[in-house]
Amino acid sequence: MAESYDLIVVGAGPGGSIAAKTAAESGMKVLLLERSRTPGEKNVSGFGLTSKAYRDFPWLKKMELPSMRVCRKCVGHFLSPPPELDERVCLYSGPSRRISYPEGREFFTVMMLRREFDEYLAGEAVSAGAELRTLSLVTGLVRESGRVAGVLLEGGDEFRAPVVIGADGALSAVARLAGIREKWRPDEVVSVCCIDYSASRERLDWVIDDAAFHGFFGPGIGGNYFMCMAEGVHLGGPGVGNSLVSRLNRRRIKPARELLDTIKAPSCRNLLKAVDAVPREWQAHLLPWLDRMPTNIFGPGVMLVGDAAGLPEPIWAEGVWQAMYSGRLAAEVALEAVDEKDASHASMRRYLERLEKSPVGRDFIGGTQMRNLFELLGDERFFGELTEMAVDLFVAMFMNGQEVHSEAMARFLPILAENLPVLMEVGRIYAPVLLEAYSGAVRDKLQLLKGLGAIFSGMAGTAQGGGKGGSQPGGEAS
Amino acid sequence: MSDEVVRIDRFSLVDITPATRDFIRVDPQKCTGCGACVVICPMDLWKMREGRACLAEDYRSKCMECGSCFIACEYAALDFSYPPAGEGISYRYA
Ligand SMILES: Cc1cc2nc3c(=O)[nH]c(=O)nc-3n(C[C@H](O)[C@H](O)[C@H](O)COP(=O)(O)OP(=O)(O)OC[C@H]3O[C@@H](n4cnc5c(N)ncnc54)[C@H](O)[C@@H]3O)c2cc1C
Repeated sequence: MAESYDLIVVGAGPGGSIAAKTAAESGMKVLLLERSRTPGEKNVSGFGLTSKAYRDFPWLKKMELPSMRVCRKCVGHFLSPPPELDERVCLYSGPSRRISYPEGREFFTVMMLRREFDEYLAGEAVSAGAELRTLSLVTGLVRESGRVAGVLLEGGDEFRAPVVIGADGALSAVARLAGIREKWRPDEVVSVCCIDYSASRERLDWVIDDAAFHGFFGPGIGGNYFMCMAEGVHLGGPGVGNSLVSRLNRRRIKPARELLDTIKAPSCRNLLKAVDAVPREWQAHLLPWLDRMPTNIFGPGVMLVGDAAGLPEPIWAEGVWQAMYSGRLAAEVALEAVDEKDASHASMRRYLERLEKSPVGRDFIGGTQMRNLFELLGDERFFGELTEMAVDLFVAMFMNGQEVHSEAMARFLPILAENLPVLMEVGRIYAPVLLEAYSGAVRDKLQLLKGLGAIFSGMAGTAQGGGKGGSQPGGEAS
Repeated sequence: MSDEVVRIDRFSLVDITPATRDFIRVDPQKCTGCGACVVICPMDLWKMREGRACLAEDYRSKCMECGSCFIACEYAALDFSYPPAGEGISYRYA
């Protein structure tokens, strides 16, 4: 006899645990299924939890985990092409004063281990009343008159619910079984490897302190990074600019080799040595990296959240806040569906509509261009020119002890002129982003005016004693 | 000074409980020998043999379940699912 729930959530990563917590807090009977022995056991991340998560889930502020290190500064190392990998420019900065919310002005991310974080979130879901079942691999879906109505575990256990949330990550079985997506195209994902190092906490405090993120950019490196936790360092890559396709096309040497190439950069290697880093674990994981917000993320009785939906943002492929945000939205829609006893396609569609309007969806505005920009940063010619222009301008204006100052400063404009082609290339990417963002805003204003018009004409209709159709936003009344 | 930070022996740096059943299948009829899986595997578990992709016999105790080969294969020659619950890769520091 299959046990029944109001909601089944597949996968106890950040997306699944937040969905389960949200639903359980609203009084739903929730089952949270996870294939691993403990939540987080299978999940690889950087992992930096961005300040957005603290803004949108304020209760996270009470979370204390042993591995945490706050990242208040980010460091970008811009390197010359191999084999030198010499540091040409280094950008060391705190958050901008212009960020629109206080947490964002205070820090970039909090670094921590997913093992600890995922277990914490799953614990929150359980405290809210959700039932967590680990060691549960979902291999089938129950269907009832064309709708998803439950799940099957390997081994035969069956659980039923009017709504199933697929929070089962990049290789989502729910997406596949529900017929939403067989698999990602190779240009829609990155395959990321990490080397985890143990490191001395004391050394990290001296050498790194709160500059916990170091990115290494350069031709042939393409956005590898390391991030520091309380007592450990993750070296990750190949990062942005390296979809499976671009990797395959370039026939680059093995991922392990590629990561080790980053360590050849003196700026990277010396930092690792300075904190007494010793390799501790080798990791690999797939990560969706789409340039447009995916829309095939639901079906009758089913919604996909987080990586299963392909929601990591188009520049860095940051995805934990996105998973949490979408998990909460999906749970809210599930609650409405259960209340209204309607888990139809139309009912689940509300999830997509709300997500598109949310900051998760809006983060995909200009996504294609932003992705292109990052691919371009790995381009030898483009990248080299941009880096050297930055060096030329900075040295000409401020750091020049080698020449007569006024003569060096007079070079400023000629340097800009000389680099016009590169600057125009940046403009070619930047302009469409602005245009898309701006045209969206204009469209929204027009929509609002239309809506207001409808309300006014409706009111006019009511005033004339028409009585009907006043609350219809569609404006058919006129 | 020895370069401890760059000496990475991948196989000694993973904790894998060998899977008790297969979870990657290759259809030699569909494989075109393009070699995408060989390039992409973070553990180098694929080799080319007679123009076809060939998976290491002991992959059940070495695969990290990232699924990169499954996505990289554009000829649907490769099927991937997860190993049974509680088996396979276990990350302590991810
Ligand atoms: C190397 C790397 C670095 C990253 N760095 C960052 C970062 O710094 N910041 C950031 O925000 N994001 C980062 N990301 C992205 C982030 O990890 C993902 O976007 C995020 O984990 C998505 O959360 P999720 O809940 O959707 O899926 P996941 O975290 O993948 O969770 C899915 C869960 O479902 C379980 N599961 C899967 N299939 C089944 C099944 N059939 N049955 C039962 N359970 C199943 C899994 O075991 C897992 O626990 C990084 C990703 C990688 C690979």
